[in-house]
Amino acid sequence: MKSLAFFGLLARVNAQAAGRRVGSLRQQSRLMVTVIALFVACYWVAGYALFFYGFNFLSTVAGLGAVLLDRMLYLFFAFLFMMLVFSNMIIGYSSLFKSQETQWMLTLPVRHVDVFCWKLAETTVLASWAFLFLSAPMILAYGAARQVTMWFYIKLGLLYLPFIVIPAALGALVILIVNRYLHRRVFKWALFITGSAAILWSIVFLKPMEVAGLQETQAVSVLNRLLHNSRVTLQPMLPSYWVASGMIAWGEGGGLRGMLFFLVLLSNAMMATLVCVTASGHLFYDGWSRNHSQGTISLSPPAGRTVRGERRNILESFLDWLPGLSTTARALVAKDVRVFWRDTSQWSQFVIFFGLLGLYVLNLRNVAYDWNSSYWANFVSFLNLGASSMTLATLTTRFVFPQFSLEGKRLWIVGMIPGGLRRILWQKFWLSSVCAFIVTLTLNIVSSCMLRLPGWMMTLFAGTVVMMSFGLCGIAVGIGALFPNFGRGSTANRQDDNPARIVSGFGGTLCFVVSLAYIAVVITALVLPLWPQFESGEITASSPTPAMLAAWVFVVLLTGAAIVLPMGLATRRLRDFEL
Amino acid sequence: MIQTEQLTKQYGGLTAVADLNLDIAQGEFFAFLGPNGAGKTTTIKLLTGLLKPTSGRILICGRDIQTDSVEARKVISYVPDLPFVYDKLRPMEFMMFVGQLYGMDRAEAGGKADELFETFDLDETRDQLIENLSHGTRQRVVIASALLHDPRVIIIDEPMVGLDPRSARVVKDVLKARSRAGTTVFLSTHVLHIAEELADRIGILDHGRLISVGTMDHLRKASGHGGALEDAFLALTRGEEEATAEEAPAK
Repeated sequence: MKSLAFFGLLARVNAQAAGRRVGSLRQQSRLMVTVIALFVACYWVAGYALFFYGFNFLSTVAGLGAVLLDRMLYLFFAFLFMMLVFSNMIIGYSSLFKSQETQWMLTLPVRHVDVFCWKLAETTVLASWAFLFLSAPMILAYGAARQVTMWFYIKLGLLYLPFIVIPAALGALVILIVNRYLHRRVFKWALFITGSAAILWSIVFLKPMEVAGLQETQAVSVLNRLLHNSRVTLQPMLPSYWVASGMIAWGEGGGLRGMLFFLVLLSNAMMATLVCVTASGHLFYDGWSRNHSQGTISLSPPAGRTVRGERRNILESFLDWLPGLSTTARALVAKDVRVFWRDTSQWSQFVIFFGLLGLYVLNLRNVAYDWNSSYWANFVSFLNLGASSMTLATLTTRFVFPQFSLEGKRLWIVGMIPGGLRRILWQKFWLSSVCAFIVTLTLNIVSSCMLRLPGWMMTLFAGTVVMMSFGLCGIAVGIGALFPNFGRGSTANRQDDNPARIVSGFGGTLCFVVSLAYIAVVITALVLPLWPQFESGEITASSPTPAMLAAWVFVVLLTGAAIVLPMGLATRRLRDFEL
Repeated sequence: MIQTEQLTKQYGGLTAVADLNLDIAQGEFFAFLGPNGAGKTTTIKLLTGLLKPTSGRILICGRDIQTDSVEARKVISYVPDLPFVYDKLRPMEFMMFVGQLYGMDRAEAGGKADELFETFDLDETRDQLIENLSHGTRQRVVIASALLHDPRVIIIDEPMVGLDPRSARVVKDVLKARSRAGTTVFLSTHVLHIAEELADRIGILDHGRLISVGTMDHLRKASGHGGALEDAFLALTRGEEEATAEEAPAK
């Protein structure tokens, strides 16, 4: 079959299926559609307002307004490019090597390279649309701050198209090479060791900035530092540089210069695609075959070696060592940890989430502010708490919410244990809460130390983070069981095997919205007692005031409600649950 | 129609398929049996070109599945044990799509699909999305779509799982009729009476090795059991287990 005819057929079928998915929204609950629509609208309006205010503020900086505005754009596109490469790698791995559809396509009378090209296109769309959707308010705000015409946005579409193709091709190339030449287990450990080394390197070699020198010419130093640190985004070989430069040129009315960057992007996107598709001829099928030959190896003991029932590995030994765990709880925890660790797409996303959070925390010491000022230290520490908890909410929604649905058809196995599904639910709650609080508490303590917060503030924030870990996990596990997404159809097509799809339903959206609302209330409650001091510009409190203690008690009660309400409702629902 | 020459597939240190030599003729109904983990699914994935052999080669209608894969796959239909379908399509849309993927024009695919709908009793599902069909009905849709382009070789893995007795009868009849009409059928199953009922020849794989291949009579003689296939199968695979166990200490 000719390549174009194959793509045409697939495009038609996928458009038909997509149309039906959109159409099926009418059959779904109005509440769900309304919640999602409201959430999107709020995000767009709030995002636009925030960026518009920020850009206008930057524009007013005498002599440097335009430079700062442009630098923000270079920074944004540099990060977007990195995120797109990661996103393409993760989605590309599932789409190219794990999807049932790919296996089916490989048995059709079409060239392997055609299958690869289709999957590459599909990955590009899946990996990029959310970033473009999320960045839209910022782009609109930039346009408004620059007072551009409608043509600017139309031309921007031209720049975006080749821009998203380059990270897609790059991500796919990395995945092809890794799959072809590295065993999954080797790759997993290589990534783990590289990540750990990177964190160690950041801790040891990234020196905190000198505070003393900043006090004299603070504003100029801050700007200098910002411009100096972000100059890496001005490397003319970066695709993010081309797209930002093209955008700036078109924003300023520089038609020809904008066109030059568009053509640079286009030619590089075409070249990247050509290299990737050519490499796929050698690597895709070999990699696919190799990938699907590995699963059996891990299941089978090496020749001549017998598996002894009493053999203990590190995980089992650790769980045995933990006091107070029943045999059933140990088995359930071991099962969840193993399933998670063996699902490459799950833990790789998890590592990226926490990696970003870690980088953010480590970067705090390089933020050019005077930590000797209690005002800024407190201000940034509250922002820090907000950022950490929002990331935690994303994590619990993405990884904890799908846990119950992921059991899917296997529920009968775990549901038959003494204590039934209720026990499963609480085990999932404790496991996810403990994992979440260990990581977030560590990051929070590190960041508090960097901000040189007083001991009582550090304790307050650490306590809040622990509370939030439990609260957010309670929300995610409870709503996950109240609104499970088991999918329908045969095992091969069942949605319950794909956590990302489980989250995309009503329950996932509700979980995220409720988590954000919980965070907003907690942070507001903690900030309120300090608000008058924030307004006066100096924080003088040297110990917790009664109002602050009252706020913290409120947070404890609210967290209790965040755990008990969804978990209680879920437990009640599970009593009548039919396996 | 299906020929394998010294076909071997190794996963690291494990040999999943070892020196497999098969020669399955046109119109032959070949049943492929073996205990769990014997290497049946690996063999099927090798035959369909999904996996690359470590050594040896596979010819489908004289075409090498590795070097001339597109041409070889044109004449194959593969129905896995967990088949993929597009949930948001209707059965007829899926059939038309598959037909076109195999180069049929819409009129030809539509005509054939109508016939298969009648054969597999799928008329009532025309207006439903595949996601709303039961497992058995989906299985019938998949098998029907696999027959649409009149393949010369059908490779089918556990086709009867989830089918009600009537549907199972239809599938068996259709496969047998196709085989009589000249299509080669390669069926992998654990349901021994299906192999006994339908197959012209039966191959038994154990620990990646083809331990016996032939007609029912041949297997009975080879196993020393004159009864049902079950007895012959158990005797042959037990013999292999014992042989493997004896070899192990010697290593």
